[in-house]
Amino acid sequence: MSALTPTRTPAPGTPSDSDAADAAAPRRRAVRRSPLRSERRGVRIAAWSTVVVFGGFALAPVYWLLATALTPRDQVFAYPPRLFPATPTLNAFAALASNEQLFVYLRNSLLVSVLTAVLSVLVSAYMGYSFSKFRYRGRRSLMYFVLASQMFPQALLLVTLYSLFSAYGLLNTYTALVLSFTTFTLPLCVWMLKGFFDTIPDELIEAARVDGASRLRIIHSIVLPLSAPGLIAAGLFAFVRGWNDFIFALTLAGPEKQTLPPGLVNTFVGEASTAWPELMAASLVVSLPVAIAFIALQKYLVGGLTAGAVKG
Amino acid sequence: MSASQLETVRNTSSHSPPRRLTDGQFALLLLLPGGALLLGVVLYPLVAALVAAFFEQSLVVPGRTFVGLQNIVDVLTGDFPRLLGQTLVFTVGTTIFPFVIGFALALALNTRIRGAKVLRGLMLIPWLVPGVVVSFLWMWIFNANYGVLNALLETLGLVDGAVPWLAQPGTAMTAVIVAKTWQSFPWMMVMLLAGLQTVPRELHEAAEMDGAGTVRRFFSITLPQVKGIVGLVLLLELIWNFQHFDIIYVLTGGGPAGSTQTFATAVYETAFHGFDLGHAGALGLLWMVLLMGLVVVYIRFSEKGEAK
Repeated sequence: MSALTPTRTPAPGTPSDSDAADAAAPRRRAVRRSPLRSERRGVRIAAWSTVVVFGGFALAPVYWLLATALTPRDQVFAYPPRLFPATPTLNAFAALASNEQLFVYLRNSLLVSVLTAVLSVLVSAYMGYSFSKFRYRGRRSLMYFVLASQMFPQALLLVTLYSLFSAYGLLNTYTALVLSFTTFTLPLCVWMLKGFFDTIPDELIEAARVDGASRLRIIHSIVLPLSAPGLIAAGLFAFVRGWNDFIFALTLAGPEKQTLPPGLVNTFVGEASTAWPELMAASLVVSLPVAIAFIALQKYLVGGLTAGAVKG
Repeated sequence: MSASQLETVRNTSSHSPPRRLTDGQFALLLLLPGGALLLGVVLYPLVAALVAAFFEQSLVVPGRTFVGLQNIVDVLTGDFPRLLGQTLVFTVGTTIFPFVIGFALALALNTRIRGAKVLRGLMLIPWLVPGVVVSFLWMWIFNANYGVLNALLETLGLVDGAVPWLAQPGTAMTAVIVAKTWQSFPWMMVMLLAGLQTVPRELHEAAEMDGAGTVRRFFSITLPQVKGIVGLVLLLELIWNFQHFDIIYVLTGGGPAGSTQTFATAVYETAFHGFDLGHAGALGLLWMVLLMGLVVVYIRFSEKGEAK
């Protein structure tokens, strides 16, 4: 049917994924006779031009990242650079694998991001539930304070956090990193989880109370299990934000406890001749968990984005 | 849920354990762990950093002296005007360009061209990579001697010799904005595309039958319908970019000659390289005042959205 309808893309077999479009089917005949046909072609050309130009801007650097990672080290400083590596190699990845310090950073990154995610989800679940299902004075102000708190400048918080952790002997510990990461993961998780809890019908909770379940029991055996996808989504977003952090780990930890982002900067940047293939290979490796998390999170992307899940 | 109703249930149910807390008290109890955490790692640090503005205080030497408004006067008569200008250039640039690109792509993908879903997925890649990776990649592209950008431009005859994009004051800010734009536009695209997809197709079809052209329909149907989401993404981007740190710091460290220094990098430098908490706090105070203006607008905006 789509082959006959110039209103939409003319490709036969293009899946139609919109109910609205199908519902409008009877109107199509009128549309087909409309004098705007040439204009529609113009729109299609404009759409494709946009995609080609900006798509190029989006993807050319990605290609260059891949190509450089596969270029032998002695060829990377050839000028002009070759757009296609003449003898692609995985040497850069092998070099990474033999660098023990990178594994320290990797382990730190995994540990700190997972701990941050767990702590944030745990604490945020109670807070989000309180915001979602109870009504009290100051609730809205508190909610918006939480929302605003992720917009306070990190560089500024860091000034005091550094002195604070230093006073308690927590500099260069996982504790310092996890606690500082919660400054941005907690607000995000609270708002996301509040949104999830809002979708749980009050009747369900009331019914459980009528049955004699305590309020805490309701949270633990009804609300949280029902919100499992939400908890996982919030946790994954928190993991990603922790994984991507740069400024806190750069400042609050040294090489033994530092995560990958500042670790990679310290390893590769500022040397007399940067090992570009290795840096690009490391960039791919550090991006991988984020990419996997996002594929898992597709469904929650837009909702999570408005809650500040990932800074644009 | 009605409290009195539950009260009745509670009194008549024999299984019900004794409850001493009211709903309100229970709700507050739930807030405690998160509240304590936010108080300790967000509110207290923020206030303490701002209070430092009124003291002469060092990061490494204990003790401090009250100096009143001296630090703020120093900052206002010193770096502030230049930092404000540069921060605004960065913030506006990294909001407008991603918005234009993101909106154009969202509109293009929304015409349901072939493979729109795959294209959308591919275009998300720049935004999936961590900020430091964005910096590494563009540092390599902008590299003066071996960078691919200079090679391309030279082939096209547009530049002559090695342009040190990140190392000369005239081009560094532009280069940083390009890198940040590359990272930000996919987020804009996803948000705006989600907004565009909520515009009922019937509206367009009806207008089309009435003879409204594409441009006319864009301004009279599409734009009013996505106004809310456009406002939201612009506000959020402004807030985030106003305090962005990672990409600037890794690409240029605020240099060369301070030409890419923004409030974020300047506060960091002052505190952690200059060890001068007083001036960092003063700068931070002025920064916060400006930022809070944006945040208040954003919160008003979200409240309006929630009320609907």
